[in-house]
Amino acid sequence: MNNPTVRVLYIDDEENNLQAFRASFRRQYEIYTAISAAEGLKILQNIDIHVILADQKMPNTTGVEFFKSIVDTIPDPIRILLTGYTDIEALADAINHGDIYRYITKPWNDLELHNSIKNAYDAYKAKIDLRNKITELEKTNDELNRFIYSISHELRAPLVSVIGIINLVKMEGLYDSSGEYWGLIETCSNKLDYYIQKTLQYYKNTKDIPDHSEIDFNKLVGELVDLHGFSDKETSFNVNINQTTKFVGDAFRIEVILSNLISNAIKYQKTNELNKTVNIEIDVNDFEARVNINDNGLGILKEHLEKIFMQFFKSKMHHGSGLGLFIVKEALTKINGTINVSSNIEDGTTFKITIPNAK
Amino acid sequence: MPNKTGKVLLIDDNDIDLKINSKVIKLSNFFEEIIICQSGKEGIEYITKNLDTPELLPDFILLDIQMPEMDGFEFLEIYKNFPRTFLDNCKLAILSSTLDFGDIKKAEANPLVIKLLKKPLYPNELQELLNKHSTLLGI
Repeated sequence: MNNPTVRVLYIDDEENNLQAFRASFRRQYEIYTAISAAEGLKILQNIDIHVILADQKMPNTTGVEFFKSIVDTIPDPIRILLTGYTDIEALADAINHGDIYRYITKPWNDLELHNSIKNAYDAYKAKIDLRNKITELEKTNDELNRFIYSISHELRAPLVSVIGIINLVKMEGLYDSSGEYWGLIETCSNKLDYYIQKTLQYYKNTKDIPDHSEIDFNKLVGELVDLHGFSDKETSFNVNINQTTKFVGDAFRIEVILSNLISNAIKYQKTNELNKTVNIEIDVNDFEARVNINDNGLGILKEHLEKIFMQFFKSKMHHGSGLGLFIVKEALTKINGTINVSSNIEDGTTFKITIPNAK
Repeated sequence: MPNKTGKVLLIDDNDIDLKINSKVIKLSNFFEEIIICQSGKEGIEYITKNLDTPELLPDFILLDIQMPEMDGFEFLEIYKNFPRTFLDNCKLAILSSTLDFGDIKKAEANPLVIKLLKKPLYPNELQELLNKHSTLLGI
């Protein structure tokens, strides 16, 4: 078996001990010895040592003092302290401030010391492996972030151009000039855009740490109603917002939550309903914002109510992505909010959510 | 509808979007003249070159964010150093397809940006914005 080379540094002011150590372990490890802390430090600065053994009782610098002095500068090697007598104070100091892995009394037992060094090396390896994994993960994460950013730009930009062209076709009165083809292109483009947007929302929600910014619900809801009402002129909105106190929360997630709920309320209307209505009520106090979004739309079947927050759940009749409410739920979970839904086929659907005020 | 007396400057590296957006503006009759620049650098050069001939300067700028070499934000860093006489008479909006929250926040925080418009450009959105700022625009 190909054992890894374990580099051990032993610091002791007694030359005899150093020699004994070398004699016992030279076959197992690559051994470095130093007669003082200062000499030990010189070796550490030049050689990548895995395990350090130091005698406690040395003139000038004790073992614990030495370990303390290299806590920040040379953090990686695993430290073992050797002492001839049990000094509880030195021991406590060593554990609390010197980052000591093990404590061994002199004279040492070869087998015990050997096992300790072996374990120390395993600990060293685990530490380094973990650090490499973290670096690797950070790199992957970074790449993923850049990938997502490029999706939001590179992938979406040409699609938005296509939608722009379709709008021009409409402005120039050519929309019906090729049978239903322009309409089909428009439907497909909007669907693709919707998926890109939902994917980004989902990704951003799982990743970003919650931010705290001041939220003006009047302004936010106003913008969202404008945005979504734009595609559906038949729906009337009753917006009633009671915000007299400052509200602080995660701007992105709150926007995603409200945006998805408002868009759903508009999307799932009864086609033959003459008074399509969406009611939005928001009450803000020092502790939370309570939001009610109610519509007189299709309603949700009782057997579906349990499942609507699940990823990719969609009802057979409607063409959703199965992501909207899932994202709403995930986003609320991230910011410690709650959601309740009640619905019946006659009166439509009401979503009640609460979002804690972080001010 | 605003009188079509003003000049609009479009800054975008994407040919197709330039074509689409100038067509939207032309069809909506918002501006008398459309100036097209295909990079932030070109936009800066156009303004610099014409600082002494105010009749050639734009009244309104639509600026893309994602552009090679000089992006929209870098453009703004140089733009803000133009003389006040020009900046006071010209309004600037960002026109981008970005969904990046960082971009959006950065755009909203910039005092020189009156709005972040999202692509595609809808005539009524632009009109609303122009109406809101028509006195400032002097058109």
